[in-house]
Amino acid sequence: MQIQPFSVNDGEGIRTNIFMAGCPLRCRWCSNPEGFRQEEVVGWYSRRCIGCGACVSVCPEGIGTDMNSGNGRELCTACGACVSVCPEKARTRMVTLMDADEVIREIHRYRLFFSYSGGGVTFSGGEATSQPELLEYLSRELYDMGYSLTLESCGYFDFDSVRPALERMDLIFMDLKHMDPEVHREFTGVSNEKILRNIAGLGTLAGSRDIVIRIPVIGGVNNSEDNIKASADYVKSVLPEAKMELLPYHRLGQVKYEALGLPFGQEGFYTPDKEEMNRLKALVREQGIKTADYR
Amino acid sequence: MAITERVEKIRQNYVNTKPHISYERAWSWTKSFQRTEGQPHLIRTAQAFYDTCCELSVNIWEGELIVGTSGEYRKCAILTPEFGWLWINDEIDTFPERGQDPYDVTPEQTEFIRKNIFPYWKGKSVEEAFLARTSEATKKIGVDTGFLDTDSKWRNGIGEISADYIDVLLPKGYGGIRAEAEEYMSKLDEAKPEEKAKIDFYRSMVLIADAMITLGRRYSAKAAEMAEAETDPARKKELEEISQICSRIPEQPPQTFREAIQFVWFVQLGGIIAENPLAWNPGRFDQYMYPYYKKDEEAGIIDYDTALELVECLWLKYSEWAWTISKNTASFFAGYTNFENLTVGGTKVDGSDATNTISYMAIQATRECMTHQPTLSCRIHPDCPPEFMEAVTELVSTGCGFPAIHGDRTGYQMLSNLGYKPEDARDWNNCGCVVPHSRKTFEWTSAASISFAAALEFALNQGRSRLSGEQVSLPEKDPKTFASMEEIVEAWKKQFRYLVRHGVISLVTAQEIHREIGHRPFMSACNEYCMKNGRDLVDGGAKYNIGPVFTGVGLSVTANSLAVIRKLVFEDKVTTMAEIIDAIDNNWEGYEQLRELALACPKYGNDDNYVDSIARDLADFFYEEVTQYDDLYGNHFVTAFMGISNYLPTGKVLGATPEGRHAKDPINEGVSPYTGSDTSTCLAALRSAAKMNHDIHSGGTLLNLRLNHDLVATRRGRANLGAMLQSYFALGGFHVQFNTISNEVLADAQKHPEKYRSLLVRVAGYSAQFTNLSTEMQNSIMARNAHTEF
Repeated sequence: MQIQPFSVNDGEGIRTNIFMAGCPLRCRWCSNPEGFRQEEVVGWYSRRCIGCGACVSVCPEGIGTDMNSGNGRELCTACGACVSVCPEKARTRMVTLMDADEVIREIHRYRLFFSYSGGGVTFSGGEATSQPELLEYLSRELYDMGYSLTLESCGYFDFDSVRPALERMDLIFMDLKHMDPEVHREFTGVSNEKILRNIAGLGTLAGSRDIVIRIPVIGGVNNSEDNIKASADYVKSVLPEAKMELLPYHRLGQVKYEALGLPFGQEGFYTPDKEEMNRLKALVREQGIKTADYR
Repeated sequence: MAITERVEKIRQNYVNTKPHISYERAWSWTKSFQRTEGQPHLIRTAQAFYDTCCELSVNIWEGELIVGTSGEYRKCAILTPEFGWLWINDEIDTFPERGQDPYDVTPEQTEFIRKNIFPYWKGKSVEEAFLARTSEATKKIGVDTGFLDTDSKWRNGIGEISADYIDVLLPKGYGGIRAEAEEYMSKLDEAKPEEKAKIDFYRSMVLIADAMITLGRRYSAKAAEMAEAETDPARKKELEEISQICSRIPEQPPQTFREAIQFVWFVQLGGIIAENPLAWNPGRFDQYMYPYYKKDEEAGIIDYDTALELVECLWLKYSEWAWTISKNTASFFAGYTNFENLTVGGTKVDGSDATNTISYMAIQATRECMTHQPTLSCRIHPDCPPEFMEAVTELVSTGCGFPAIHGDRTGYQMLSNLGYKPEDARDWNNCGCVVPHSRKTFEWTSAASISFAAALEFALNQGRSRLSGEQVSLPEKDPKTFASMEEIVEAWKKQFRYLVRHGVISLVTAQEIHREIGHRPFMSACNEYCMKNGRDLVDGGAKYNIGPVFTGVGLSVTANSLAVIRKLVFEDKVTTMAEIIDAIDNNWEGYEQLRELALACPKYGNDDNYVDSIARDLADFFYEEVTQYDDLYGNHFVTAFMGISNYLPTGKVLGATPEGRHAKDPINEGVSPYTGSDTSTCLAALRSAAKMNHDIHSGGTLLNLRLNHDLVATRRGRANLGAMLQSYFALGGFHVQFNTISNEVLADAQKHPEKYRSLLVRVAGYSAQFTNLSTEMQNSIMARNAHTEF
């Protein structure tokens, strides 16, 4: 998992995001590749590296400065020795094993900022539901402490196992990446059936909350008017009160791929321009769904 | 409303003109002093002010609605040789070409000044008196060293006064002040020694009042004369109106908003002519201007836009005054920056919200004019109206560095801790950059700059400067033999005590000199209790006499350095004291790997108690040490963590430091993290800074942060900024100010200064035009870490 304080785009106000590692999808446009698996990961940002060799001198596995070359990745146990000595923060922990109560202490740190801004805690990922027991524990504790909770999910999970956690949320974001099951499978590795079912399932939760269905608009994949319209129609049919947020594809994650020594492979996608985004958002509204914007 | 054509023209002139040296004031002052030899110094000063106001050339510039200038140039830099002239004599030939804050001056002017003005002051200035009375030991550590500096109190005029517009100036006018002085005087008996001194004081008040009345009348006559000759009927009418206003103002209390604005400027001009000071504060502008606005608006004689244009004219008048300072001082206060601190917002004395139309108007004027004056400050209380917070954060988002944002309750607490009565503490305004202040007060708010990092250097170098090798401070054992953290902290304390002690000696000496030859009748006339008590400010006439303020620099560098030693030498044991000392002796050359280890240690500004607690302990020690000393008036000295731009010159004199800094690199200002070392989030930086016990440092605390512009580009982003401010204040923080211009823009401005003449940026405690800063200063602003995390 990874904790990110001062997040301002995933829910109201100033929030601390909890990124739960592990994701059942492999979206080809993913900008958080460190969250694929549930294991600790250390990254190496070559652009920051000054080649001082401090990391090499403390590495118990004898990995070189460029940990992504040779068999560095296989040898690395993510012990973090290099992270604590790197003067430029070129070596950083990208996924960290944390104790649940340690997470709660990190949340407490910024409680005043939450209060004044109407913020709180956002469960994200990786995939927020990928560690159901931890989600259950944290959401229960934080709910009882009075924090405002938000959850952001890819939608691919076993609904009943996280139902109580979902019911504690003030706001739920759920992704809808494509309406066509086969295209969905092609680009994310899984079909969309379970996701569509879960979106509908949000309507069965006890209590009330805001729901925002998010479409990451990937140029060349899901930005056709037909797909956007079909998505809005589906949302309208199962969750008439929900809003939708359309987020343009970005490549800010590229540097993370480099840090992890993974091939980027996103050259085929493009970022829809502002005009196109506005047109698609208007289309959503035409279907009778309100759009949301957390920028 | 867009800025009017008139204001835009004045603004263009302000942005594109280099200030010009004027000796008119100095020449009148000198001639007057030649005539008054033998009289009490207080009277001589008041007489010199009177004579100057009679002689100074009277100029009304194109398009002006608000009039009054301190000499023959629109952007005037005047001289006050009675405080110090040696440095001017040394440097005047380099004024036009120097890198930081150049002034135009002609060779003929220079010759005239050297021939007619300086010779009279030889041996008579405050500066010379100070140097004559100061021991070699004190000079060695505390004169032009960058370790400890007090020269703003003996080379320049003092100022650091907030004019009392509310109880004195606006309700009485100078006619009223004169009448009051006459009234007091009539009841005194010259045959009683104490009353005799009071008579002198009241005589000085009469002279000051007459001087101000004369100044107004001269402008009235000038405007009438110009109206006579004016062919443009619209301008003719304006000049007639100016003439009419100045025939009453500042003698009579103003009746209208327009008159009040002119009044406020005349008072400001008077203070400039009297002292040409570092800080001279208009105070709570929205509080004293609103009643005039409300009355005029209700009577239908003014609307918002008309009032705004007048306020903008005033803003440009504030900005046309250029402070005259030495090259060295300019490195501390870069960007022609003196402080005309104008405060808006906060609470009223009864505790209710104080914001009004003028609060918003002031913010709008700064946004539209982009002038470096007034130094706009705002007070934010816990129940601050969202609209006001929005106006404040919107101004922040322009990147101009204004306003300085202050937590109302911490300001109140800072004054309460100095013994202020609640009604006065609640009425606080800002002085200088970030000093909580009052119009009832006499205080040297920026008296000594004391370097925490210099004390560390002396502790780790046997009392010697690492760069010069000279023994400037107390001897200490070989630093390589320190065997524990406690020993090192003790050594730092010993050296720091020594710095404090010489600061105290210097400032008490300066106070003695000011009591003899630093009388301040003009400023005393702006102070309610001086009149009541019949005593000048330097004789303790004010209601509150507060001890001089020590401002600490280099807090984070020092805390970070101690954290490195603690971690690497005594905890992890990966290096030794000997190696660390060798490394900094060699400016890290050949010790690159050790430096990397040092850089990787915890740094202040990331909400890490490992190092934040060290910083807090140092700051607390500073408070305990400084406040145990009393000044000449029996008041304890006060601490602050202000900034100014002194983190550059105070860094330049120091060798490398254990946390990884190279020799001569800047240190840090206020309670700000060291440049670029607050790598976590803005929230973590705020939390670190809030751990310092702000309320005990009653001289004010300063925090500068850079925010990526994207964070405040949307209304929602600005609301989050507002929440961050309120959180910081709730945690006990006092002041924070932001730069939000991207480095790309700044880099372009370095390359093409002509395109960015009006680009304002936050320096430290104030904003200045970016293109007016030296390259070195520009680079250091660009190096501040921008918080971009989302």
